[in-house]
Amino acid sequence: MSRDSNYDHHITIFSPQGRLYQMEYAFKASSTASGLTGIAIRGSNSCVVVTQKKVPDRLIDPKSVSHVFSITPKIGCLATGLTADCRAQVQRARYEAADFQFKYGYAIPVHVLAKRIADIAQVNTQSASMRPLATVCLLVGVDDERGPQVFKVDCAGHYLPFFAAASGSKEQEAVNFLEKKVEEMKGFGVDDTVRTAIMCLGNVLGSDFRGTEIEVAIVEGKAGKFRKLTEDEIETHLNAIADADA
Amino acid sequence: MGDSAYSFSLTTFNRTGKLLQIEYALNAVANGRTSLGICAKDGVVIATDKKLASTLVDTEQVRKVENITDGAGFVYSGVGPDYRVLVRKARKSSQSYYLTYREPQPVSQLVKGTASVMQEYTQSGGVRPFGVSLLVAGTDADGTPRLYQVDPSGAYFGWKATAIGKNYVNAKNFLERRYQEDMELEDAIHTALLTLREGFEGEMTSQNIEVGVVSTTDGVFRRLTPEQIQDYLDEAS
Repeated sequence: MSRDSNYDHHITIFSPQGRLYQMEYAFKASSTASGLTGIAIRGSNSCVVVTQKKVPDRLIDPKSVSHVFSITPKIGCLATGLTADCRAQVQRARYEAADFQFKYGYAIPVHVLAKRIADIAQVNTQSASMRPLATVCLLVGVDDERGPQVFKVDCAGHYLPFFAAASGSKEQEAVNFLEKKVEEMKGFGVDDTVRTAIMCLGNVLGSDFRGTEIEVAIVEGKAGKFRKLTEDEIETHLNAIADADA
Repeated sequence: MGDSAYSFSLTTFNRTGKLLQIEYALNAVANGRTSLGICAKDGVVIATDKKLASTLVDTEQVRKVENITDGAGFVYSGVGPDYRVLVRKARKSSQSYYLTYREPQPVSQLVKGTASVMQEYTQSGGVRPFGVSLLVAGTDADGTPRLYQVDPSGAYFGWKATAIGKNYVNAKNFLERRYQEDMELEDAIHTALLTLREGFEGEMTSQNIEVGVVSTTDGVFRRLTPEQIQDYLDEAS
């Protein structure tokens, strides 16, 4: 049908210029839907993810609001975008990781998991029956052979290893901040990595935080587990940042 | 593909007999980063522009040139995620070939199989064509070096030298002027780097390109290390 170019906005077929509109719209949704910005940084021996904690209603139990998920005890994920799509992707990632452990008898490396999720995301961009998920995942972990790793998996099924990555509504501003520090960050210990991530978020949002307003999670060392920092630990870092500025 | 809810093809003929989805897929390829290949008398070289959007990306871990069998490799221009699907299928099918025949799959058969997959996606229900063109380098069963280009339609041709992706017309003209029938592999690698540099935005370094080489001496497809690429770049300047 010469009129089939009208459908290129509705399902993932090529437009006359060779673009995939559904994929581009999914990107838009993933950056604007939640209004959050996520940042992940890789240090010399650790990885950190940071994002805002926006509780939409005071009646909501704050403990249930989180965009930071552990996929395995050693691999964590910061998922920004449509919350339901994020949950769906995380569930699939957990399944794939557990299946790998079952089949091969050892824990899935971060890059293998990232590739698997990306390949699954790609299917939705080529097969018309399901739309792409409006989610961008920042996967972090410390690999036995390669050290700390940060991978960004997006709606199109692209996945890339990063020294530092950002996602969500203020992604570009965060990337500008991180690019200036990229060489320094490679040598940072866990505290510096956490503080740089928090400073980056503060910088792009143009405001300071309290410990209850952001989520921070780290994985440190090859033996470390992915864990979220408590509010007190976050406060300690915030105070250290404030002291360093003052 | 069998579990797609759509049982009709999304790629259909228009009034003038064109398959527009395939044409559009070729446009997607033409928007991709440049790749090129040259077939010399004693080997094949393929190379690609690996420029990534940000200095924050760890480029050493990113792969565009991939081994499929010991003796054959792929590179692409176009949509990266679609390329990974083809690499995975090609690797699986060449392993299956080995299992059946107990010898490595010749590159011409590998190309036929991959092209056939790409054609299926232009006709099967509920899927779109792959947004990639592939350059395949390898040696045939009799040791002859071969370079193939496979397009989103599933059409493939053997080439002496070719380029795909952004700026491919200029790159191909450049190659046409420089190509010689009795070219040796070392010359081909130099020419490939010169051609890549022609259309390169910014400075070309060993970190933002990838090169794959197969030589008739051992028939093994290898990616050049950044150090090896740097040596060639130093010689060229």
